[in-house]
Amino acid sequence: MATLQHFALLLVGAALVNNILLTRFIGLCPFFGVSSSMDTSLGMAGAVIFVMTLATTATWVFWNVLLEPLGVAEFLYIPAFILVIAALVQFVEMYLRKASPALYRALGIYLPLITTNCAVLAAATESVRPGLFKMGIEYNFGFGEALIYTVGVAVGFGVALLTFAALRERLEVAPVPAIMKGTPMAFITAGMLSLGYLGLAGLFGL
Amino acid sequence: MDVMLVIKAVVALSVIGLIAAAMLTVASRKFHIDVDPRVENVLAVLPGANCGACGNPSCFVAAEAMVSGALPVTACVAGGQQVADDVADALGVEKCAVAAVVSVRHCGGGTAASRRFDYSGLQTCSAAGRLAGGDLVCPAGCFGYGDCARACPFDAITMDERGLPVIDLDRCTGCEVCVKECPRGHIGLLAMVPEDGPIVVRCNSHDRVRARKDYCSMCCIACKKCEKVCPTGAIVVVDLLAVVDYEKCTGCGLCVEACPQNCIDLTGRVAIAPATELDGLGAKAEGFTPVAPDEQVAEEGS
Repeated sequence: MATLQHFALLLVGAALVNNILLTRFIGLCPFFGVSSSMDTSLGMAGAVIFVMTLATTATWVFWNVLLEPLGVAEFLYIPAFILVIAALVQFVEMYLRKASPALYRALGIYLPLITTNCAVLAAATESVRPGLFKMGIEYNFGFGEALIYTVGVAVGFGVALLTFAALRERLEVAPVPAIMKGTPMAFITAGMLSLGYLGLAGLFGL
Repeated sequence: MDVMLVIKAVVALSVIGLIAAAMLTVASRKFHIDVDPRVENVLAVLPGANCGACGNPSCFVAAEAMVSGALPVTACVAGGQQVADDVADALGVEKCAVAAVVSVRHCGGGTAASRRFDYSGLQTCSAAGRLAGGDLVCPAGCFGYGDCARACPFDAITMDERGLPVIDLDRCTGCEVCVKECPRGHIGLLAMVPEDGPIVVRCNSHDRVRARKDYCSMCCIACKKCEKVCPTGAIVVVDLLAVVDYEKCTGCGLCVEACPQNCIDLTGRVAIAPATELDGLGAKAEGFTPVAPDEQVAEEGS
């Protein structure tokens, strides 16, 4: 039971309390780039969940099999992870195009977009690299924990993105003063949404 | 020690690179998909901006749809006529003209329309329109404060001495910015019509005819003279306002001559003079002679 509770808390902590977009401000480019409509953000959210999980799995393997035994992990992990994630996304794109055209169409253009997305790199780094300690969380995960954490981060990304997209769609038809229309209004909305997410700090003592 | 670390780093990255390269090479062989060569040909002539204006998520999907026939070769909005011709070439089908649209103004009011108060606020249509419904009595006419002229990205709209926007069809690209900017664009004050649409009705009001005549001397009075004189049934009075069916209109000009209010204008890119000079003149336009459709055919035959 203790493990189950631990995993559940990890999931909620990663998704809501330490929301990657609105509490920690990582991955803000897609947050503003694709959030103008619900359709595109749904595609992006799906692609992020998919790629983040895969990326963590792959980087975990490379960290533990190659980088750590060679003793180069500490300074080489960023280029190595980018290389691994980029190649992996390319591979997955090819595979999907052959094996599942429907999924390929759904994720389509969003897959290459997140090849070197900072949120993907951040999630992989935090969950794979041991001994990291920041924002009250000690990042020292086993493989299972790493995977749960990554899924949590990705789900948090998706939820925040979809909420923001829904708000922006409403704001499109709202009587906003001309000088505030578009991006300025999006920035203000994002700020308020971020304040809302900060209110989740302390949830379940996290 | 340091040298060893450098070597180890190089080895580590090389190994990852090699594994990735091998994996991708195998994948590109194993998961190779034979794409219809026509799709590639079409894709090569499309702009490749993945702008989505055609309703497809990417140019690749659009190319597939064009090859399968689900999408017309003229579907690329960004590419226009040039790309449409190239696509038709690539597919070996007949070239056809892109149905281009231009903006027209459905109002001849301006100084001829009465105002219910002197407006001296911010000189924009949207500000005027928000103050108690605007100074203009007509609920559908043009305020004349030039929001469309300022918004036009191609400088195709100028305000004339009547206080009405005149659209230069040589410059109009059909981008629809003016229609969106106009506070009355959504009720058809500015509207998009085919670029060769020969005539335009300069009125947009569906008010009672008597009320309409009281506040504007240039309005359509729903007398149906145009409807009766039209040989092809292209102009019909609907809800007290003459509307043109551009599919049927031949541009003969009989309605322009018949209109007692002088509120039907010649327009279009094929008009007898630049459309800007014909604006508001109706049948008084210089060199205007109505041509019956049978004579038109005879002219083209000779």
